[in-house]
Amino acid sequence: MFEEHWKLVNENDMKKVTIHTSVNHKHYELEIKPNLTLLSLLREELGLTGTKCGCEVGECGACTVLMNGKAVNSCLVLAPQIDGQEIVTVEELAIGNKLHPLQESFLNHDAVHCGFCTPGMLMSAKDLLDHNSNPTEEEIRTAISGNLCRCSGYQQIVDAIQNNNVSPLKG
Amino acid sequence: MKQFEYFSPKNVVETCALLKEFENDAQILAGGTDVLIELRKSSVKPPRAIIDINRLNELKGITETESEIIIKPLTTHTELGSSSSIKKHARLLHIAAHVIGSPQIRNRGTIGGNIMNAAACADTVPPLMALDATVKLLSVNGERIVPIIDFFIKPYQTIAIKNELLMEIRFPKLLDSMKSMFLKLGRRNALAISRLSVAAILRKSDSGLIQEVRIVPGAAFPKWQRMTEAEKILVGQKPSKELFIETGKRVSEAMISFTGRRWSTEYKEPVIAVLVRRALETCQ
Repeated sequence: MFEEHWKLVNENDMKKVTIHTSVNHKHYELEIKPNLTLLSLLREELGLTGTKCGCEVGECGACTVLMNGKAVNSCLVLAPQIDGQEIVTVEELAIGNKLHPLQESFLNHDAVHCGFCTPGMLMSAKDLLDHNSNPTEEEIRTAISGNLCRCSGYQQIVDAIQNNNVSPLKG
Repeated sequence: MKQFEYFSPKNVVETCALLKEFENDAQILAGGTDVLIELRKSSVKPPRAIIDINRLNELKGITETESEIIIKPLTTHTELGSSSSIKKHARLLHIAAHVIGSPQIRNRGTIGGNIMNAAACADTVPPLMALDATVKLLSVNGERIVPIIDFFIKPYQTIAIKNELLMEIRFPKLLDSMKSMFLKLGRRNALAISRLSVAAILRKSDSGLIQEVRIVPGAAFPKWQRMTEAEKILVGQKPSKELFIETGKRVSEAMISFTGRRWSTEYKEPVIAVLVRRALETCQ
């Protein structure tokens, strides 16, 4: 709706913006329309569909990615704003076929039901564990408070994050 | 034909020039947590220019002088909540920063955006008003400093004119003898829009009598204000549960006299009274 609205008024006049950015440690130089969200850029321009599009108003957290190491709603970041910034998405967690320990922990704790909230939950959890390797249950619940799980499997998700085997060395 | 252009100026001078150039048709973009939602609404006409101010490093950070705290407008709620100066000298603002939105929103949303967007539920405003903050505005026509109590006209409307840029928020540090609290009630624990909130500051003398009190409810009035009538009944008194209950009642009455009885009054009337009492009881 966001894009469509503008397409009507100024499809041809829209001045494009050139940005230099890093997504999953890969450098990109992109020429983009300024009315894209980071979420659309990731999914539609870069093909990184692991980041999910839920509410698009910053309420559900399905689109959570890390921007300079901090969890943000990618639906609330205008794509040109990532110029010079570092973005990390859920695609960066696994290395080839080897899952990230946090992903393993989600599997081991049955923390994935329908799976739609999982990428966002993983990124919020990663932000937490990157800054606090041994969080309390309350800290975990606060960290994922911006992520909704419609299957309401929160307990398993909290357990998965608490009993993770992510050591600072494994990253 | 309307055109949407994106600008990311590198300094304040450039920003003010752009704001002048686009006059009433520019939207400043800070954290984006409100602006992007507005931009997506098909009913809202997009501005001709989006001016992203995130490159303006001079608008970031918190500093303190001997007597004052100075917060630059691009300070995020996360930064606000983790600042030791804010925790030490403005505890109620520290608490407010922690209950805004979600971690993702707090990582992007800024105190300047919270003020300039001027939603009735903006959680940093009641604490700032209780702290007697001032805001500094800059435009090509010069700068002016306005007490935050005079800054708001009604929800989503401030006295700032369209080409003005918020430069800083400044307030005196709370004295050690001043205890403060911010309480908020939302419909869910996280990401809740404030239904009602209360910012309170209480100063007691060595003998335990109340010397000074400041109460500012949030989301209760069309325009934020100090509860001067209710505050008066506390000054010079010994703190007690009965007195705090009475103060809560006064605030509740003030709210109703201002807004009239509405569908939500039945709920808000007792709730604001309890929030005021609890805020006063827990000022520490």
